[in-house]
Amino acid sequence: MTLLEVRRVTKRFGSLVALNGVEFTLTEHEILGIIGPNGAGKSTLFNVIAGLDAPSAGDVVYCGRSISGLGPDAVCRLGIAKTFQIPQLFPRMTVAENVLVAALYGHGASLSDARRQAGEWLAFVGLRDKERAAAETLSVAERRRADLARVLATGAPLILLDENMAGLNQTEVEAAVALLHQVRERGRTLVVTEHIMRAILGLADRVVVLNYGEKIAEGPPADVMRDATVVKAYLGEAHG
Amino acid sequence: MRAPTLTEGLALAALGVLLLLPLGVGAYPVRLATVIFMWAALAGAWNLLAGYAGSVDLGPVVHYGVGGFATAALMLKAGLPFVVSAVLAGVVAMAIAYAVGTPTLRLRGAYFAIGTLALAESAKQLALAWDRLIPFPLTGGSAGVSLPLASGYVLFYYVMLVLMTGVTTAALWLQRSKFGYGLRAVGENDRLAEASGVNIHRLRRRLYVGSAFVIAVTGGTAGYWLSYINAMESFSAAVTFQMVVMTLLGGLGTPFGPVLGAAFLTLVSEYLGTRLVYYYLIVIGGIIVAISLFAPSGLSGLLQLGRRRRLEAMP
Repeated sequence: MTLLEVRRVTKRFGSLVALNGVEFTLTEHEILGIIGPNGAGKSTLFNVIAGLDAPSAGDVVYCGRSISGLGPDAVCRLGIAKTFQIPQLFPRMTVAENVLVAALYGHGASLSDARRQAGEWLAFVGLRDKERAAAETLSVAERRRADLARVLATGAPLILLDENMAGLNQTEVEAAVALLHQVRERGRTLVVTEHIMRAILGLADRVVVLNYGEKIAEGPPADVMRDATVVKAYLGEAHG
Repeated sequence: MRAPTLTEGLALAALGVLLLLPLGVGAYPVRLATVIFMWAALAGAWNLLAGYAGSVDLGPVVHYGVGGFATAALMLKAGLPFVVSAVLAGVVAMAIAYAVGTPTLRLRGAYFAIGTLALAESAKQLALAWDRLIPFPLTGGSAGVSLPLASGYVLFYYVMLVLMTGVTTAALWLQRSKFGYGLRAVGENDRLAEASGVNIHRLRRRLYVGSAFVIAVTGGTAGYWLSYINAMESFSAAVTFQMVVMTLLGGLGTPFGPVLGAAFLTLVSEYLGTRLVYYYLIVIGGIIVAISLFAPSGLSGLLQLGRRRRLEAMP
């Protein structure tokens, strides 16, 4: 079943065209990777889908319903939740309360249900022992996992992960990839942007490549990596 | 149900004593306590918005003034009894707060503070000019309005006690309710709260409208108590700043902070005002600076620190 359709989305910031007619569809339970060099428009695309930015042209359709122009809170309650490139927290609340807020407001859980769910998601990401700590005391790797627990707790079927593995070491990346496979097994659909190619190869079913705001390739990760246009976009003319 | 904490137990015991206080003491302590309750209710209402939702409102005096003049109009023109008038004035203030809050609460950070400060000054000018501009006189221009004389002072003691208790209970409830978690999330990181499904504007507005009710009823009660109000004083920024200073002194974002701050500042002003008639404001300024420097989280933070030290000292 088609979950998300991005229809010829263009986003301009003044004279800068950050996204130019980007389109793709996403099937339920899929893991889609979005890759591209710095400034290719990955984060802008995520912001448009999550309601943080309205598209200048085009449309985003979720479960057959146009969601462009809705605010981020409405998009989240409809079922799309996004992590932040720089992991965000409610710094003076406990780790458990951070996740609790998402469960309470993401899908309107009661206080007792939300408490239970927050505990379960923290256990899922391996942060159960930190639940009473103030969120601001977490390390970068822990913040990324707390942010993941938060988006999972919203109950959103579609999860957007914006470079959720940046700054992690090799072992941590492997653990994160395994965790995201488990997220899919729990019935969620994932869109992932990532700089770490190895992570994308081991994770995504399909990748969309962006360059200067345009889609230049799409397909299974191994095929796309061999594509001449993609290699050129990443490494420049001489290598192509 | 959870068991009340030590602080909540002490507060309940204090409330029991306060309920019976007017039976045991003379007029002066009751009047002084009424002043403290009034400021605790006002500061407490401000604390809900600033301390829990992180919106620094520099125009809460608008609701105070609206409450005063609406109560006066309802009593004088409609002949309604005081309590009915004050509650209706609260409802009027809620309607105004809803209309005003819808655009202003979208302003972030300092812009909201500046916007509300400007709003309060415009409200004052409007109140001063009202009777000249509108064929339905309300404010008496710069001359003000006299309210009917009330018999006795005990009524005001109990009304203000109810208002203070109501605001403090609301703050306690916010610490453990869904609404409260949402507000704290908005206060700590509004963009993340929004991305987690919180409708930040609706939550903020609900709180703004609720606190407007408390402030307006307090304003109406204060007007009836003094039996005279005028626009310059009812919409004075000094009322706002006293609410802010008392909350910060007592402890921003804590349920009992505004009560502590109101009691402390009122009692110190009362004590010093009679002894250092000409210099007491300078001394109070010094005390406020000292507390902000040495106990930035306020008096309630200081008390908590003391308790923690005692706990750590135990074997």
